[in-house]
Amino acid sequence: MSCKSCYGRSLVMDDVTGDTVCSSCGVVQDFDNFQAHFGGISGPTGTYVRLGTAGTGNVYGYKETKIYEAQKVIEDTMFKLGLSGSRSNEVKAMIDKITEGEYGQGSWFPVLTGACAYVVMRKDNNTLPISEVANFVGCDIHELGRMVSRVVEFLELKLPEFDIVDSLERAIKTCPSFSGVSADLSRRMLKQGVFLVQCLIKWFVTTGRRPIPVVAAVLVFVATLNQVDVKINELAKELHVAVATCKKRYKELLVRLVEVARVLPWGEDVTTKNIINNAPYVIQYMEMKSMEKRGENNKHNQDREFCLDDLIDQCLSKDLGYGYGSYGLVNDSQYFEPNLSNEFPDELQLSQECLAMVYAKFLDEASLVKSISHVEEGNCRKRATGHDLFDWSDWWNGKSKLSKKLMLKQILEQDVGLNYLPPSFEWGCKVYEIRKKKIEAAKSRIQTTMSSSSENSLVRNDCFVEDVNMSERKRKRQFDIDWEDFIIETLLLHQVKEEEIGKGHYNTLLDLYVFCDENVARV
Amino acid sequence: MGIPEQGIEGGQPVDLSKHPSGIVPTLQNIVSTVNLDCKLDLKAIALQARNAEYNPKRFAAVIMRIREPKTTALIFASGKMVCTGAKSEQQSKLAARKYARIIQKLGFPARFKDFKIQNIVGSCDVKFPIRLEGLAYSHGAFSSYEPELFPGLIYRMKQPKIVLLIFVSGKIVLTGAKVRDETYTAFENIYPVLTEFRKNQQWYGFFFFSISL
Repeated sequence: MSCKSCYGRSLVMDDVTGDTVCSSCGVVQDFDNFQAHFGGISGPTGTYVRLGTAGTGNVYGYKETKIYEAQKVIEDTMFKLGLSGSRSNEVKAMIDKITEGEYGQGSWFPVLTGACAYVVMRKDNNTLPISEVANFVGCDIHELGRMVSRVVEFLELKLPEFDIVDSLERAIKTCPSFSGVSADLSRRMLKQGVFLVQCLIKWFVTTGRRPIPVVAAVLVFVATLNQVDVKINELAKELHVAVATCKKRYKELLVRLVEVARVLPWGEDVTTKNIINNAPYVIQYMEMKSMEKRGENNKHNQDREFCLDDLIDQCLSKDLGYGYGSYGLVNDSQYFEPNLSNEFPDELQLSQECLAMVYAKFLDEASLVKSISHVEEGNCRKRATGHDLFDWSDWWNGKSKLSKKLMLKQILEQDVGLNYLPPSFEWGCKVYEIRKKKIEAAKSRIQTTMSSSSENSLVRNDCFVEDVNMSERKRKRQFDIDWEDFIIETLLLHQVKEEEIGKGHYNTLLDLYVFCDENVARV
Repeated sequence: MGIPEQGIEGGQPVDLSKHPSGIVPTLQNIVSTVNLDCKLDLKAIALQARNAEYNPKRFAAVIMRIREPKTTALIFASGKMVCTGAKSEQQSKLAARKYARIIQKLGFPARFKDFKIQNIVGSCDVKFPIRLEGLAYSHGAFSSYEPELFPGLIYRMKQPKIVLLIFVSGKIVLTGAKVRDETYTAFENIYPVLTEFRKNQQWYGFFFFSISL
């Protein structure tokens, strides 16, 4: 290259400006700072220009972008779940450990984040319902559950059991439905809720069932008792659980409280429809029972008699508070019948005279209230709703141990005046009894068929009812006999043990005894 | 079908030396595998056999069913076959042989190699309710009880290596056995544990304790 002015070849680069200058004439040469790059060890350099970016673009590689995006997902999930900074860091560390610092970008990553958040909370005995996490993460609870078990297995953790009492406390604190409730009332409701939840644990309502619908049912019940307007549909939505399940649990709670109410003098009149009016007395009774010392059952029968007497007196003295309107006062004579004491548990030996006296007093006062209520028609209508019946609040003592969180063993030791079997067990017993009856009926049908003398005899039993007027209404002949009866008959004829049939595994028994190769060959 | 000579009540009484609990789990499903030892054209099988279904987009095996013994088989192109749904080991083997015969009749040189029972599922009812929370607490090392996800308690027994699903209603499912005796042993092992956690166990414990005081 030569100088454009003197054509000399003594061109040098000026260190300051970077321009090329002729060292003999001093003329600055034309601008030519182009530097050719030919790759090499460091590869081609320069600005990477691509579609879809504006300005200078980003200089991150795939891995950095992935980690950055993943951390954004983690932070977003933590924020949604309301987890504090330290817990958030713990979750991040857990994810880092599990993914070996690789994080991830797939749809599985938010699920892993949710699972880690759940595990971190549960590890520290803080309840975070899985349904809530699944809702925020946007996946199915079973998908999340599978991820949780993988995380637990990978990290070799042992999670403490899910605490339903804690979840009740969390629900009452976080649900928007309870946001307007005063702190005092909230505390009171929480205590009542804990009391009822622990009763439900004792009565097997929570065993093998999702805990949050039970929490929702108890909260709705307690809210109604305390005149807080909470709708079960809204609460179920806030807790991210199915409304139908919550309603079912609510009904189960009512049924059990009705059972407890049977010991009250008017217990026969208490139903699931009016239990809410009687709930204060029922809960008060349960509290009293739970505060009794088990070893002193016989010693303090006298005291307890007074206690129940006090309770009844208290109930009756609240003339306006007593919800007589919900159930009729007809058939009062039942309270004076001699077999009244049979309705009470053995240990509650109330004298009939005492109860008769108390109930007579109640009748007097109730009639007075009735006359007043006729005058105050407006109030009467209001009373029918049952929400203004609990203005008085002295029914709740809150001193029972069950109002505080107890261990399972302690809960089971408490007596609340009722023991209940699990619904699934009760249903199983019922089905077994029906099956036994069907087996007996099938046996008698087989015997009848086998004996020649019974050709024209009419078989009558629980499972086989035949219309006598066959000729007149031939088409309307009704047999209470179904496929199950035929299967039982077949099995009996194949010498299957009744005990085996009673288990109800018909398909298995048919395969083993009826459709086995020998029989098929014989046919 | 003739009327049984000894009347309508039959069967053998429970052998109490083998089943001290007096309860014998009922086998509900046997899963077995066998190698037909030849490559199979699944499409040809699906076209020729009327009791077969094949949807390669959904599952890469022919699903074939027979009515006697009532079972279902999964037949893979590699010649491996899985037979499910039998109620006894003999039935499972018989069913597998029947499937192999069907494949042979379709023109494949199928053999009957390495028949093996892979899993036995049994169930029974102890007829008393069980406090799952208590059982999960005291047998935490073996149990997993997550009522938020599944209503039963999953008990992973180490010896024999069986998984038990225990429900509050007293119904038990036992799975993972290779021979039926493992199912029976697992049940006899768990039965005393379950009786400890039957309803009101703690009540009785407390009652006796207070009496002894």
